[in-house]
Amino acid sequence: MTRLVAKGLALRRGSRDILRDIGFSAQGGEFIAVVGPNGAGKSTLLAALAGLLQPDAGAVLLDDAPLAALKPRELARRRAWLPQNARCEWPLRVERMVALGLAPRLQGFGDVSVEDQARLDAVLADCDLAAQRDQIVTTLSGGELARAMLARALVADPELLIVDEPLAGLDPAHAWDAARRLRALATEQGRLVIASIHDINIALRRATRVLALRDGRLLADGTPATVLDAVLLQQLFGVVAEVRGTAGGGYVDFAC
Amino acid sequence: MKKSRALVPLLSVLLLVVASLSLLPGRAGWLLPWRLTGSDAELARLIVWELRIPRLLLALLVGAALGLAGAVLQGLTRNPLAEPGLLGVSSGASLGAVIAIYSGFGAAFALAVPLLGFAGALLGTLLTLTLAAGGGVLSLLLAGAAVSGLLLAGTALVLNLAPNPYAAYEISHWMMGSLADRSWNQLALAAPFVLLGIVILMATGRSLDALSLGEQQAASLGVDLARLRRQVLFGTALAVGAATAVTGTIGFIGLLAPHLVRARVGHEPRRVLVPAALMGALLLLVADIVARLLPLAQELKLGVLTGLTGSPFFLWLVWKMKERTP
Amino acid sequence: MSRPLVASLLLLCALNATAAQPHRIVSLNFCTDQLVMALVPPQRIASLTWLARTDGAAEQRALAQRVPSNRGSAEEVLASRPDLVLAGRYTTMTTRQLLGRVGVRMLEVDAVQDWDGIRRTTREVAAAVGEVARGEALIARMDAQLAEAATLRASVPLRAIGWSGAAEDVPGEDTVFNTILVTAGATNIAARPVGSSGFDLEEVLRARPRVLLRGIAYNEDRSLRSGVADHPVLRALPGLAIIDYPEGAWACGVPAAAGYALQLARTLRALPAEAAR
Repeated sequence: MTRLVAKGLALRRGSRDILRDIGFSAQGGEFIAVVGPNGAGKSTLLAALAGLLQPDAGAVLLDDAPLAALKPRELARRRAWLPQNARCEWPLRVERMVALGLAPRLQGFGDVSVEDQARLDAVLADCDLAAQRDQIVTTLSGGELARAMLARALVADPELLIVDEPLAGLDPAHAWDAARRLRALATEQGRLVIASIHDINIALRRATRVLALRDGRLLADGTPATVLDAVLLQQLFGVVAEVRGTAGGGYVDFAC
Repeated sequence: MKKSRALVPLLSVLLLVVASLSLLPGRAGWLLPWRLTGSDAELARLIVWELRIPRLLLALLVGAALGLAGAVLQGLTRNPLAEPGLLGVSSGASLGAVIAIYSGFGAAFALAVPLLGFAGALLGTLLTLTLAAGGGVLSLLLAGAAVSGLLLAGTALVLNLAPNPYAAYEISHWMMGSLADRSWNQLALAAPFVLLGIVILMATGRSLDALSLGEQQAASLGVDLARLRRQVLFGTALAVGAATAVTGTIGFIGLLAPHLVRARVGHEPRRVLVPAALMGALLLLVADIVARLLPLAQELKLGVLTGLTGSPFFLWLVWKMKERTP
Repeated sequence: MSRPLVASLLLLCALNATAAQPHRIVSLNFCTDQLVMALVPPQRIASLTWLARTDGAAEQRALAQRVPSNRGSAEEVLASRPDLVLAGRYTTMTTRQLLGRVGVRMLEVDAVQDWDGIRRTTREVAAAVGEVARGEALIARMDAQLAEAATLRASVPLRAIGWSGAAEDVPGEDTVFNTILVTAGATNIAARPVGSSGFDLEEVLRARPRVLLRGIAYNEDRSLRSGVADHPVLRALPGLAIIDYPEGAWACGVPAAAGYALQLARTLRALPAEAAR
C-alpha cells in the first residue's frame, strides 16, 4: 500500500519561512483535507509533497524512497497533481485533453495504446464526461472543466493524487459532488488523496483526515471530528464558530 | 478525425505537384521539356540542374524550417502570434550573417556564415524568451520587438563599420530575402544545420502537448521544462539561423503555416508540427513561384511578398485576439 | 545657422576664392574625384571623397591616399576652406545648398555616359581648375585610344553582359559600362531602357552571352554578392568567357574610360574564336 511520509519539511522564500518543520505520514485509502487561512502555505505544501518544489530542509518519501531520487517520469506515473484553476490553453477536444494525462506512460513517438484507450474510455465514463468527450474543452462549464481535469489526473492511474483547491469556483452542488468523487477515490479505490480545501463543512463531512496549517506550521493532524473544533477554527481563521451535530453529519456554524 | 489523418498525405502530394511544376517557370521563361532540342536542351538542363533544383530544395528546406519553428515557438509560448521573425530570431541571424560576411570570415571560411547566423539567432531567441519569461502574449511580442530593434541596430552598426562601401546597399536587398541564383554550394552549407534543427524541433512534440495544460501541470507530468526550452532555443536557432544566413529574412511563414493547419488537427501542438513544416515548405515554394512569374522589371523579393501577404493576416490575428480578451 | 556666422563665413570664403587657379579644390563626387586627380597635382587638392580611396583603379586609389578625404558634410568642407568645390548633380544636396548660400565657388558636373559628354565635362572642369591645356591633352589621348579601339573591333559585335552576383546590379543601356562595351566591339545584352534592368542568372544564361564581365569592387570578398558571383553554373557553361573588371572605375564618364575600352577591345580580340554552339 502507498505510503507517503513528510519529515521535517521546511521551505523558505527569501527571508520568509513558508513551511516550518512539517512531519506526517499517510497511506493509501486516506482522503486528506489540508485546511488553513489564505497564505498559510497550503499550495506550497502540496507542491512539495508532489515533488514539484524542493524543500530547503527535510524530505518527502514515497514508499521509503525520497521524491528527489525518483526520475520525473517515474514520479509522474505514480502521482498526479492538479493546480488551482487548472485550464487548457488550446481548444482541444475533451478526450484529447484528458489523454494528455497519459503522457508519462507513452513511449517514443507512439500514440495512445489500445490498453490506454480503454482506460481513457473508463475514466471519461467515471467522471460523467461521456457526453462531452468531443466537446471543445474551452467551452466547458466550470463544473465540467473540473471533472475533465480530474479525469486528466486519473487517467494514468496514479496511486497518489494531490489537488490544489479542487472546489474553488464550483457552486455548492458541484463542490459536494467533486468532494464525493475524491473521497471515493480514496476509500473505494485505495488511493491516497491529498487536497487543500477551503470549505470547512466539506472537509468535516467528506475528508478522512485533516491537516490544519497556519503560518507554515502544522497546528493539528487527525480525523475531522476530533480536530475541527471551535478552538482550532478560532486559531486558524480568527473566527468564532461552533461545530454542531455528530461526525459524518456534523456542520460548522460560523457566528460572525 | 478523418480530416486530420488526410492532412499530411494531402499536403505531401500537393507539395510534390507544386515542386515539380516549380521547375518549369523562371525569369528566363517557361522550360517545357517537349519543346527543347539540341543546344537548347543542354542549356535547359544546366538551368534546371544548377539553378532551379537547388532553388527548389532550398525553398522546401527553409519553408519547412520556418513553418516548424513557428509551430514549436507557438507551442512553447502557447501564443498563436509567436513567429521567428517577430521574436528576434531572424534579426539575430541577420546580425550574425552580416558580421561573418563583412568581417571577411565568410570569405576565408564558408561555414562561418551559417555558424554566425546560428549564433545570432541563438542570442536573439534567448534574449526574447528571457525578457518575456512569465509574461503574457503582449509581453512576448514587446520583448520580440525590442530585441529585434536592438539586433537591427547592431546590424546597422556593423554596416557602418564595414570596409566595403556598398555594404548597406547590398544588405538592404538581402534583408528582403530571396532564393534567386542560389547554388548547390549554398544549399550544402545550410542544409546540415537546418536538418539538425528540424530533428531537434520535431522531438519537442510530446512536451509541447503537455504544456497545453500550463507549465505547472506539464512539470507534474514529467516534462523537464528547462530541457524543453533549451531544445526549442537550439532547434530554432539552428534551423532559422542557418536558413536566414543563406536566404535573407523571410517573415510570416512561421506565423501562417501553423495557423492554416492547426484547426485541422484539433489544435494539438504535436500534431501541428509535421503539417506546419509541410505547409511552410508549400507556402514558401508558392511564394517563390509567384515572385518569379510576376511580370515586373525586377524580380519581387520573396520577403516583400511574404510580408505583404503575411502582415495583414497578422493584424487580423491581433484583432481577433483583442475581441476574445477585452 | 545664425546670420553673423554666415556673414563671417562669407567673408572668409571671399578672401579665398579670388585666385584664377584654385589651390584648395574639394571634390564631393567619386567621378569628379577621378577628373581632379587627372587634371591637377595632389598638393592643390584639399580633399576627395572617401570612396576615392576604396574604389576605382589601383593607381587612383594610391593617389587618393595621399590627400585628405571627406564624407560630404558641409562642416568638413567649410573647415577645409576650399576655393573650388566640384560636385555631382544628385548627391550631397544639403551640402551643396549650404555651400551655395555661403558663396563658395562651386561647379556641379553632369554625370555623362558617352564620349561627347566626357569631352564636354572634361573641358568644363579643366577650365574651372585652370588647367585647359591639361584637359585638352587628356581628350587627345582619349581620342587616340578610341581610334585604336576602333581598329580592333570585330565585324560582328560579341554578345556580352555585366553581371556581378546581383540581378539588380546589371548595367543597362544608359551607362558608361555600355559605352565602353560598344566601343570595344561588344553589344550589351542588358541594354534595355532604364528601369527595366534586373537580370537573374537564368536570364543571363538564356541570353547566351559570349562574354560575362564580372565587376570587382573594393573588398569584393567581403560582400554578399561575391558568393553568388562565382556560381558554379557559370563554369559549367561551354564557351563563356568571364572577364573581371574594376566596377567603380568603369562607372565614371571620364577620359580614362577610353583606356578601359581599349584594354577590353584587346582582350576581346584575343579571345579564341567562338566555338559552334
